[in-house]
Amino acid sequence: MPLLEIRGLQIDYGSVRVVDGVSLSVDEGETLCLVGESGCGKSVTALSIARLLATPPARYAGGEILLQGRDVLRMSSVELRNIRGGVVSYVFQEPGASLNPVMRIGAQIREMLTEHRPAWANENEIIRLLKLVGIPAPESRIREYPHQLSGGMQQRAMIAMALASEPKLLIADEPTTALDVTIQAQIIELLRELQQQLGMAILLITHNLGIVGDIADRVAVMYAGQIVEEAAADTLLRQPLHPYTQALIRSVPHIGRERQRLESIPGAVPVPGNWPAGCRFEPRCPVAHPECATNPPRLADAKPDRRVRCPFWE
Amino acid sequence: MPLLEIQSLQVHFPVTQGVLAQKRAWVRAVEDVSFTLEPGEALGLVGESGCGKTTLGRAILRLIEPTAGRIVFKGEDITHLSANSLRARRREFQMIFQDPYSSLDPRMTLGDIIGEALDIHRLVPSTIARTARVSELLESVGLERAHAQRYPHEFSGGQRQRVGIARALAVEPKLIVCDEPVSALDVSIQAQVINLLQDLQHERGMAYLFISHDLAVVEHLCRRVLVMYLGRVVEAGEIREICRTPHHPYTQALLSAVPVVDCDSKRQRIVLKGDVPSPIHPPNGCPFHPRCPIAEARCRTERPELVETSPGRWTACHLVRGQ
Repeated sequence: MPLLEIRGLQIDYGSVRVVDGVSLSVDEGETLCLVGESGCGKSVTALSIARLLATPPARYAGGEILLQGRDVLRMSSVELRNIRGGVVSYVFQEPGASLNPVMRIGAQIREMLTEHRPAWANENEIIRLLKLVGIPAPESRIREYPHQLSGGMQQRAMIAMALASEPKLLIADEPTTALDVTIQAQIIELLRELQQQLGMAILLITHNLGIVGDIADRVAVMYAGQIVEEAAADTLLRQPLHPYTQALIRSVPHIGRERQRLESIPGAVPVPGNWPAGCRFEPRCPVAHPECATNPPRLADAKPDRRVRCPFWE
Repeated sequence: MPLLEIQSLQVHFPVTQGVLAQKRAWVRAVEDVSFTLEPGEALGLVGESGCGKTTLGRAILRLIEPTAGRIVFKGEDITHLSANSLRARRREFQMIFQDPYSSLDPRMTLGDIIGEALDIHRLVPSTIARTARVSELLESVGLERAHAQRYPHEFSGGQRQRVGIARALAVEPKLIVCDEPVSALDVSIQAQVINLLQDLQHERGMAYLFISHDLAVVEHLCRRVLVMYLGRVVEAGEIREICRTPHHPYTQALLSAVPVVDCDSKRQRIVLKGDVPSPIHPPNGCPFHPRCPIAEARCRTERPELVETSPGRWTACHLVRGQ
């Protein structure tokens, strides 16, 4: 049984559908990257896993989210409390905005421990966690406020807090986007090490295909509320099947490649509520067939262990 | 004659405290930066946040006043030019900003945003000519003439960045300072804007000072690059050469940290320890020594000068000098 299995998830904001039939699964100890551009529904999908979306305006319109076999969408508020921060922990994009500015770092981590592992809510454990995420001199850091830490250190503190409950699944939503390149590399390295050490599963949400090769076991690519391709990370990067994935990979500038024009994808990402009737990538697709404009393609098995939402992948 | 010559430019900001705003310390944002930019050249300026690249870009256009050094534009020293004389010169150097959401006035139509530049410099004799010129500019950046009547909120990030580019182009500048023009955009849109900037440069022969944290983007657009760290240039030269064989340990780490779409990665990276030090208290000696993997004793006390280590290559590192 996979640790997390999402089946046909549909989420509406008012009358606008933003997530349209997303299915994916994460096994224990596995790293899945969910890749997509802004507005594709990747963050909403991630937040829905612990039912963190404010309802209203959001509405779970269909599907199920099975966490360790139990449907999150049918859980009582008490059960949800245990899931949130217990089985599933989150790390968000802006560490500065996610930490409480008027609470000391140590106290924020202690809060998590008191809630989920009360026997361990002591200073030694807090220091151990801060050491685990590579914060130097943790004994003095626990008495500091978030603004006294740099962006990279704040993100490490966030990760320490997320790990405090020993989660089975760590959901990291663009954890490095707000950070500098050299700090980005540090955080990705840290997540990789922590996973090897602690064996938790990671669901990493990113728009940066470059991170995928560094950390992911598997990748799911989202476009306009749907998953368009899913495969093992190295297979997907080496041989993308969906025209969107192919175009996305080609549009990233590379260091050391002959200077040529970048292959850009024409047009813009369609906004929710205004998705094309057939294949959602059809208006921008370089290899679209006439029937693509009317027939919405299914996410079908293409090769062993690969799914692609394009009937013309061959 | 170079289009732009920067000589030992320095920008310090006072840190004030208390009701009397006493100056307690200085943020040394830009320290002793010199370079030249030829007409039609695209020069890259790379570094992490806080390294002073944006301050440098703004100081060159005198949007921030430099505290020392000289800015020579087309042979004329503009460092101390009065506001009035400067306004006339501004026609020749423009800027494109990072955030296309906050750099366009939400209450102005695209026509007015672009037309304002034409009005200020009295470039169009009549309203008809103004409308015609605005349409032409919109089309040159891939938008439609009908968009002139519409407001910024009706457009996506990529389209807004095109408006910012059209506004800069309106006065036919010789130099455009592009401050992270694609970092706020989606990957598939970034490529469109990079291609547009490249096409415009070929068509109009403008010079770019292209500020970015992304070496891959800079390599795509520029021939030469300056790598900045803590307010100083630590390496300069041809970007292909620098990407192939980076000399300065900071450039090496920066290059290896760039995430690449690559299946054989999970490669060994140089992961720098620690953070960028505060520019209020920069380290003694080489500014990079606290994070440098190969620092020696003298790096802690003696600051390396930027010297030509091989033809066209400039490096500020004690340990590279011998090579």
